[in-house]
Amino acid sequence: MKHLLLKLEPIIWLLFGAGLSIGTMLLTGFVIVVGLAIPMGLVDPSALAYPRAHALASSWLGRLVVLGLIALPLWKGAHHIRSLSVDFNGGDRDGAVGGLLYLAAGICSVLGIIAVAQL
Amino acid sequence: MAGAAHPEAMAPPKKGPTRTAPPQMPESWWGAPRIRTYLLFGATGIVYFLAGTVVLKLAWALGTGPEAWDRALGDLSHPLYLVFHALTLVSLIFVGVRAFGTMMPKMQPRNGPLPVLAAGTVKGLIFGAWAALTVLLGLILAGKIFP
Repeated sequence: MKHLLLKLEPIIWLLFGAGLSIGTMLLTGFVIVVGLAIPMGLVDPSALAYPRAHALASSWLGRLVVLGLIALPLWKGAHHIRSLSVDFNGGDRDGAVGGLLYLAAGICSVLGIIAVAQL
Repeated sequence: MAGAAHPEAMAPPKKGPTRTAPPQMPESWWGAPRIRTYLLFGATGIVYFLAGTVVLKLAWALGTGPEAWDRALGDLSHPLYLVFHALTLVSLIFVGVRAFGTMMPKMQPRNGPLPVLAAGTVKGLIFGAWAALTVLLGLILAGKIFP
């Protein structure tokens, strides 16, 4: 597993870097409005009523942004949790931990692609 | 004047794997601010991973239909979701300030075709892009643009 992870490292780092930079930039506005302002009543929830939300998300740019909001934080998260595990003397279990985390990120990313395709 | 040292002068008699001590976390890590900040930066990965799954849940509900979407959006009013999203916002700002403000200005390629920009310029460009994208996405989601 460790050997496979080393081979995949350029792809993993690409996704991690994109998650760290683009993921952070995209997620900030999303969390402020969808995660906090609408539930707290600071923004009218009708802004994200189904017809408008669906119209926004189902455009090609909307689908790309939604997929970015799903997949990029997952890969940033998976890689950072792996590195946290290594920091706490997890060098020996790194192959298994890293493999599981990337598998979870990969499965959720595929589910994200399916979710976006269904819009 | 002494001549240049032979490149193999310090090489061991037999070639072998580089001898390095395995990395170990010092036992007093919680008392070292730099290690603590570094670990907190890594721990934001847990929040990011969960945030990705929350967006996946929302996207899935949006594709399912109006009832599922209304239910998923309504779930976000639960106090646990509010606390989680407040924590996510703190994590995003922490990651952004550390990565965009401290790390990225130092990560410019030094020997590429592009000129190396001053750290302040890089910070300004990245923070500007972050702020612009946040405001734009926020206004669109809040219905102020493309109502």
